[in-house]
Amino acid sequence: MPTLIEKPKQVAYGHFLLRIESGTEHSAPGQFINIRTSRQNDPLLRRPFSIFNHERTVMSIVVKSVGRGSEILSQHPPGAIDAIGPLGTGFTLAANRRVLIAGGGVGNAPLFYLIKTLAGLHCDITYLYGVRAKELVYLPEQYKRHSNRFIITTDDGSEGTRGYATDVASELAAGGGYDMIYTCGPLPMMRAMVEAAKSTPVEVSLENYFGCGIGICSGCSIETADGLKRACVSGPVFNGSRINWDSMQDIY
Amino acid sequence: MNLSIKIKDLVLKNPVTVASGTAGYGEELSHFIDLSKLGAIFTKGLTLQPRPGNRGNRIIETPAGVLNSIGLENVGLERFLSEKLPFLKQAGATVIPNVAGHSVEENVELCRTLSSLSEIGAVELNVSCPNVKEGGIIFGTDIGLFTNLVEKARTVTRCALIVKLSPNVTDVGQFAARAEAIGADAVSAVNTFLGMKIDIRRKKPYFGNTVAGLSGPAIRPLAVRIVYQIYEAVSIPVIGLGGIASFDDMLEFIMAGATAISVGTMNMVDPGISIMLIEKFGIYMESEKIGNMHEIIGIAHSPGGLSEECP
Repeated sequence: MPTLIEKPKQVAYGHFLLRIESGTEHSAPGQFINIRTSRQNDPLLRRPFSIFNHERTVMSIVVKSVGRGSEILSQHPPGAIDAIGPLGTGFTLAANRRVLIAGGGVGNAPLFYLIKTLAGLHCDITYLYGVRAKELVYLPEQYKRHSNRFIITTDDGSEGTRGYATDVASELAAGGGYDMIYTCGPLPMMRAMVEAAKSTPVEVSLENYFGCGIGICSGCSIETADGLKRACVSGPVFNGSRINWDSMQDIY
Repeated sequence: MNLSIKIKDLVLKNPVTVASGTAGYGEELSHFIDLSKLGAIFTKGLTLQPRPGNRGNRIIETPAGVLNSIGLENVGLERFLSEKLPFLKQAGATVIPNVAGHSVEENVELCRTLSSLSEIGAVELNVSCPNVKEGGIIFGTDIGLFTNLVEKARTVTRCALIVKLSPNVTDVGQFAARAEAIGADAVSAVNTFLGMKIDIRRKKPYFGNTVAGLSGPAIRPLAVRIVYQIYEAVSIPVIGLGGIASFDDMLEFIMAGATAISVGTMNMVDPGISIMLIEKFGIYMESEKIGNMHEIIGIAHSPGGLSEECP
């Protein structure tokens, strides 16, 4: 069974970094692990977390404490942790590309593993790190190290550029010159990125509500141009232009 | 050790099955367990035509449970026969299709076709669907509609017929007894309980369908009570399910009267749980020196029957 190496480390207000000895060296940026938070079946369902980083067999995730499950995880003692994975699909990786990446809040997590990998593939990376306020920014130095241009945006202007990451990203995307755009964050943000991208391909990583995370319950199905797709097995990474964004309005 | 049980002529190699709707068509679960080790797999509720299922929110966690409103998303009969059934047979699984038609005619057609196949030893009739031809009333909550459906299904079903009962009635025992009288070979108890979630932010129901089915450990005591009541009312086998999450839970159902059990919601949390239950059951039988499972089925029942006192 996977092991939590050390107690969760707070990296921003309400955000915790968990380092897990996973026993595997194999995963792809965009994939997730599914963690059971209680042996007493309450909370019952596993919680999905995108892989933030993977070095040798050590995987790390960023947990934002928002409910009972994530609160339990943020206080998880070191030792055995009931995690299944890696699960789901990863981002498309290609070498020597100009890429634009926009993350929102905890949605920045899978994008770190992505840029680290893309930097190794000699991509030119423009990274837009969007959060509501300064105290929610986690590990910016690490993101900066793997980006050619790194811009923080905050809703209240307490750090970096004031406004939404999508405002800046849309402007950049509209200017063209990118081979690929990647985004993960709140639904309105990802939708805005897809709309701003025009003909540039956009990959999004969805964070909607999962039941099982392994494809058996169909609880996370979303509408796409290719029919209904289970976000946990056909995703969480999707081609953004194939998603029926109107149908996502009422989905958490 | 022989752990097998029988439902009419169908032999299940052990009493542990996985419940319809929580095991898909076995493909995903096969990444975690050997399907051939299960007593049976009840596949996802099947309709004649493919169904996309419900739009919007489909699932949410509740205290020790899950509310779902998937809307019977399924591949339809044709693809089930051409793709899903061959995969399951190849995997060595004992397959029991769950039939979830939305009219008597649709259920009859499904039962007739499926039960004519040599690969299928039993079908499970899901009576918790609305009858779209009779104002959307759920078959399993109206004794008249229920009787008519089970009679018609029985007539055309050549293999064992299992009726999966709805718990959303006052007396499930009455429905079980009726199924037995018509000639059903077993009953499954129970399907999900109707529940609801209000989205307080949007000030409206969380699910587009308004109501949803509650499952998981949260319903276990309710399900054990219903299995106990059904055991008093019928002599055909009862397949017990409702929140089984441990071997002790499985024993509760058997002692209440279940001949077999199904793991449902917990497959989503711990996909290997069914195999663990089979192993523990073997160890238990040996250590307790129980030669035949029938020694403990319904053992919790007292000779006087159900208490007539207030709880």
